[in-house]
Amino acid sequence: MKMLIDWMDDRLGVRGMLHEALYERVPGGARWRYVWGSTLVFTFVLQVITGFMLWSAYSPSTRTAWESVYFIQHEMFLGSIIRGLHHYAAQAMVVLMAIHLVQVVIDGAYKAPREVNFWLGIVLMMIVLGLSLTGYLLPWDQKGYYATQVTTNIMSATPLVGAEVQTLAQGGNEYGHLTLTRFFAMHAGLLPASLVAFLALHIMVFRRHGLTVHDPKYAPDTTFWPDQVLKDAVACLAVLTAVLALAVFRPAEMSAPADPAVKFDAARPEWYFLFLFRFLRFHAVEALGLTFGAIIVPGIIMGIIALMPLTARVLGNFGHLLNRAFIWLMAAGVVALTVLAAWEDANDTDHQAALAESHRDAKRAIELASGPDRIPVDGAVSLLRRDPFTQGPRLFAQHCSSCHRWNGHDGRGSLIRDAIAAGSSGEAPFTLPVAADLGNFGSRAWMNGIVTDYVQHFRWIQNAGWYQEAARQIAAGEEVEFLDPASSEMADWTSGLTESLQAEENSENLKALIEFLASEAGHAQQEFDPALVERGRELAVDGNWAGDLEGTSCAGCHDTIGEPFPETPDDSTASGYPTMAGYGSAAWLKDFIRHPNADRHYGSRNRMPAYGPDQLTETDLDLLVRWMTGNYSPTTVADYPNQLEALNAGLASRAAGAVTDTTAAEE
Amino acid sequence: MTNSSDEVTSEVAVSAQPDYPRRGIVRQAITAVLSFLLVAVPGTLGGLFFLDPILRRKKSADGTDSGTAQARKDSEGYIRLDVTRDAIPTDGTPVAVTVFDDIDDAWNRFSNVPVGSIWLRRSESGTVSAFNSICPHLGCSVNFRRAENDFFCPCHTSAFGLDGEKTNQIPPRGMDSLDVSLRTAGEIDSDGSEIWVRFCNFRRATAEKIEIQ
Repeated sequence: MKMLIDWMDDRLGVRGMLHEALYERVPGGARWRYVWGSTLVFTFVLQVITGFMLWSAYSPSTRTAWESVYFIQHEMFLGSIIRGLHHYAAQAMVVLMAIHLVQVVIDGAYKAPREVNFWLGIVLMMIVLGLSLTGYLLPWDQKGYYATQVTTNIMSATPLVGAEVQTLAQGGNEYGHLTLTRFFAMHAGLLPASLVAFLALHIMVFRRHGLTVHDPKYAPDTTFWPDQVLKDAVACLAVLTAVLALAVFRPAEMSAPADPAVKFDAARPEWYFLFLFRFLRFHAVEALGLTFGAIIVPGIIMGIIALMPLTARVLGNFGHLLNRAFIWLMAAGVVALTVLAAWEDANDTDHQAALAESHRDAKRAIELASGPDRIPVDGAVSLLRRDPFTQGPRLFAQHCSSCHRWNGHDGRGSLIRDAIAAGSSGEAPFTLPVAADLGNFGSRAWMNGIVTDYVQHFRWIQNAGWYQEAARQIAAGEEVEFLDPASSEMADWTSGLTESLQAEENSENLKALIEFLASEAGHAQQEFDPALVERGRELAVDGNWAGDLEGTSCAGCHDTIGEPFPETPDDSTASGYPTMAGYGSAAWLKDFIRHPNADRHYGSRNRMPAYGPDQLTETDLDLLVRWMTGNYSPTTVADYPNQLEALNAGLASRAAGAVTDTTAAEE
Repeated sequence: MTNSSDEVTSEVAVSAQPDYPRRGIVRQAITAVLSFLLVAVPGTLGGLFFLDPILRRKKSADGTDSGTAQARKDSEGYIRLDVTRDAIPTDGTPVAVTVFDDIDDAWNRFSNVPVGSIWLRRSESGTVSAFNSICPHLGCSVNFRRAENDFFCPCHTSAFGLDGEKTNQIPPRGMDSLDVSLRTAGEIDSDGSEIWVRFCNFRRATAEKIEIQ
């Protein structure tokens, strides 16, 4: 052993190198306050190890980036841990860097003769920020995509060469394959290589000048090994433990695959850039333009920091005081803005709704990707585009929610509110729904509502302008054709025979009828009792009711009930009553949405706009109807919560408010 | 404060300092162990991750196959070829045929894509034999040489008879024969015209024929 070391020492001088590395003097004794630089070096090493591993499984292109990261995160051995370590260590690095910088300024470690090393540190800081920025895009998920869009658009605000800078960064005029290959080359190639080079210089120069001793009389002098190394190692282990715990218990997030056609209202930069995001949101800053807020101000701040050694040189102790004041001010400002941004987001219902949708999409994308068919060649983004569970709510919100609601909300989980009246403050009142709530469309509850309490079931349409107008015209003695649940034959049937329908004698019959009607709608994720369905069918068609209902049947008016909905529906057999053939089924729904005004449906009494292919394409209609009829691969993703109670409560207080307003006006 | 330390540091001469602090052997040991852990923990985790191809349980095994190629594949893995027995020359000349199947490649499923090429040969009695066209030597493609009436690999000159047996010492084994089943409308029938083949690849450079799962 000794021979080997001697042999190496003769040729390489290992003893001298080791001695230099380990026995550097630490005047005033080892201290915890000296550990920050070492934790940064350690975190970087951690990033190199985990980064190489991720590199071995990552595939940079718009159709494979999200997919390969999904594969790492959810299928590869320890993939979630490796990605989690990389994800959280990157954040730890930014925090540690900020602490390091603040400490260097407070202790005056930037002053002569260490100015150059201070500048090297600033270069390192820029490289680390560049790494975090380029890394954020690589998973090609909605979050990274939209956040990085903001960054590259800020680049375009660079004076004179903005457009060129942006094109170079993106690898073209728009985001695409080349954006990823270029970002990846920066992230895994140029930036880490530069970091290694500058870090070597930084440590070399640091060794040349030695520690900036805080208090030489704190303790007897010692050496780097083992006293300071022990403290450094403990600190680094603490960092490692923290990021490992986060990686295990809070696996790194992945939002849905990036889709330029899908809005992402939850876009935010990584949390340590939130302060800048919030700063740019100040109206005063916005008024001065993007270049001012996003380039000039940060540039000036970095300039002031870079000039700190000169400030201290020229102004002496006063300069050092100024520098310390500045760095504390910056730190306080950053913390304050970060807290402000987080607090505002937490209290912003729109942002929270967008976040909820983002999480729903993310979970669904991962669920579909891990399905038995895996990911098709056109990428995971197409899985979501073809998924009724994802697209249905969006289509509903876009096309249906101006009249209808879905469990009280707009399909995407948000309650719809009126515009706030000019001059008034406070919460805007909920908008009155003017058509049926379709959240339980085609279910037993829906059928039960129609059969047992038709008027109440369709009460929402009484809020509609056309309904009130028609009611006025009727009151004035005019003749208007319109759908009025309150004075319909169906209402007569349900109200006239309610007692018999609800009575013991027909309780089993009612249950059977509901089962039959629900089975006709055939929600794909419901199971039906065949015997009960058959009994219900007989009741509907033949009317084997007991008591007062005896002799009545659904088929008496709805003569096609029990038949399947025709493939090519026409009005030749229209009876003047809405067809109940396959009522609530996908075929019925598609035809109804296209032609609600056909005689087989509501005819001239209809007020719902007919959605032709120019408004709702075949594909979109299919997605919407499949969502409404539950025809999609089963999911464990939590759906938007039911908001009917909130809506009803809101509408009640709205009505009460309206009364108050009138009273106020009268006074 | 800073100046004094600078002077001190500059006085430290590397080799002229023989008195290493020897005290605190326990402290040195603890420091060494902790420092080792700092590298060992991420190193081990990373190393295990890199061994994923060996350590990961294949997920495709429990998924139900439902790719588009399934229409032409049975539960035992036999795949129906586009070519029929009647289309193969009766004089024993081999024909090359492309086989289609679904491929699971990491996160992707490629549906009904070419997965390989085989040589088909019809005997005088009407039976059909199939060979994987990959050379068992080192994985190049085996060609049919009309002049020599044999199979030949241009990479390292492996040669095989039309029955697949090796005819020189270069390949470790004969060409890899594949199970063939003649059928009519999917039902086994030795006079059937449909050709179904259980396609698979085998490890190269081994004397034994070992299927790659």
